Amino acid sequence: MRMRRTVKWLWGVALAMAIGIAAAPPALADETCQSPFLPKVTGQEDYIYVSTLGVKGVADGNDSMVTVDVNPASGRYGQIVHRAPVPGQHEAHHAGFTDDRRFLWAGGLDTSQIFIFDVASNPAQPKLVKTIKTFVKDTGGLVGPHTFYALPGRMLISALSNAKDGGGRTGLAEYTNDGKFIRTIWMPAEAVYGYDVRVNVNLNRMLTSSFAGRKNYMRPIGELLKDAEAMKQFGSSVIVWDFHARKPLQVLSIPGAPLELRWALLPNHPYAFTSTALTGQLVLIHQQPDGKWTHKNIAEIGPNIPVDISIAPDDSKIYVNSYGDGTLRVYDVTDPFEGKLIHQVKLGDQANMVSTSWDGRRVYATTSLLSQWDKPGDQWLKAFAWEDGKLVPKFTTDFNGVGRAHIMNFGSKSR
Amino acid sequence: MRGALGPGALAALLAAGALGPAPAMAHSTGPSLPDEFIQGAFAPAFVPPPPGSYELPAIKRVGAFTLRDTAGRAVDTRSVMAGKIAVVSFIYTACPDRLGCPLASQTLRDLQARLRETGLARQATLVSISFDPERDHPAQLAKYAQVYDADPALWRFLTAPSGRVLDAVLESYGQDRTPERDERGRPTGRIRHVLKVFLLDREGFVRNVYSAGFLVPELVLNDIRTVLGEP
Repeated sequence: MRMRRTVKWLWGVALAMAIGIAAAPPALADETCQSPFLPKVTGQEDYIYVSTLGVKGVADGNDSMVTVDVNPASGRYGQIVHRAPVPGQHEAHHAGFTDDRRFLWAGGLDTSQIFIFDVASNPAQPKLVKTIKTFVKDTGGLVGPHTFYALPGRMLISALSNAKDGGGRTGLAEYTNDGKFIRTIWMPAEAVYGYDVRVNVNLNRMLTSSFAGRKNYMRPIGELLKDAEAMKQFGSSVIVWDFHARKPLQVLSIPGAPLELRWALLPNHPYAFTSTALTGQLVLIHQQPDGKWTHKNIAEIGPNIPVDISIAPDDSKIYVNSYGDGTLRVYDVTDPFEGKLIHQVKLGDQANMVSTSWDGRRVYATTSLLSQWDKPGDQWLKAFAWEDGKLVPKFTTDFNGVGRAHIMNFGSKSR
Repeated sequence: MRGALGPGALAALLAAGALGPAPAMAHSTGPSLPDEFIQGAFAPAFVPPPPGSYELPAIKRVGAFTLRDTAGRAVDTRSVMAGKIAVVSFIYTACPDRLGCPLASQTLRDLQARLRETGLARQATLVSISFDPERDHPAQLAKYAQVYDADPALWRFLTAPSGRVLDAVLESYGQDRTPERDERGRPTGRIRHVLKVFLLDREGFVRNVYSAGFLVPELVLNDIRTVLGEP
């Protein structure tokens, strides 16, 4: 019993702070939607690393990791301060830190290459230190490394497709922080698609969502929309897994390509959110008293193709960016069973990623979705801050000269 | 010894931790959130999957190093761990973050008790390696071991003979370590690191890595049983 009490103390008091304090340098800042295995503290972020898609005729045309200075105290606030190109175009998309925040892994959905940047040596200037070109071979045929999710000592990577038919059958891969392959976990036969992966350590549960294979995501969107057969080849499920065992427990039927997954952050909140790109729903995924999982549509976002979502640090709000109408919508989810639209901001012709800071005060958005799906128009990163109940614009960083802005990861000088 | 904790202070710190509320974020420079937001990530409420019902693929093989034990004797890490499942933790005794190194050591203390209760003590070993060879000389480690009721037959405390050897050990395990400096660049005595505990099989392969979010003694115990039960 003594042990049980001790354990309860250790957990109950503040385990997260163990990583927060013991691990994180001062002033490290983070967004709310990162792996729970990352050191995580509040504070003003100094930089945002933007995974940026290369465009022919723009700069050197290569994909790159672009650093934007986002500290209001800096003389270069809102400006691009560095660009680290990789050789060639790979369909730059998502990126994520290793568990010690020393390295940022970025994937190419087209070539399945993975680029590892050192962000510790000089946090303003990420440096490409390693490229994994063997992802497809290593994993036995996974294609399109998407989410890069830190586990202790490892990276968990969700893929979108496979080398055999370029369709949606796919899986998860694990690599060591050194870039060595560990294992592949294929999606179960009854729900083969993949997209995002997120872990809730308190519940030992992992969720995966579902999108589409390479032959869909690399196809011009005008063509794709006219192909009724191809339009059926989108995911319609979220899988609940035993995280530690890496075993699927339950398949939830959530039609319309449920994309980003966001676990609620407070320990007494056993639920998560997703949005469906093709059916425009904000969806709650929650555990029932019997331990089983279920879902509920909690807000109609509309036929705007909602893409990225972000959660407020106190689980009170979900931010939704929609590609179709370039609008950021904010839903009050204080009652997670009823999403209430409380605020919206027209961002531009299209929008994709959205990130909230850990103190809940700042919100950032970018433009680009996929090279074959983007509309013509300006490329940017936009910053907002909550003031008097409204999101007030703080700056717009012009990306037209460097490429198309995709996912954002927050960085700090003090690392 | 400035900033270092003697065993009495450490014990008091642990006792305070058992009763007191979470400390405020000591270093936050930006607007701070109430503690519960920070705590939010961790409050485990699950039963770990049963031993043998899952796989723990090898992550990497760690090297063998000659370190010093609490009596100052040269010890080969592989001889300490040979033929046993090892749970290896990196700590430093001056660690002021009670939920950093003390959490790891507390968990190893709990594991020590559970290994004895479950009859696994002969097949497993616990190892704590110091991050701080300058201050954690053998006598200091011996005091620290005493605070945690470490049984020398089951739980060894080791320190590196030099910074160079320590760097090689950390590199081999994949453990980060950054001595903290203040605004004027002076060392504060604190060492920043991600809390990691490593599970090694009998051949020295890392089979799991636990950080604070998943450092649950029963889960580690099931992992030990899983590795022991492999054909």
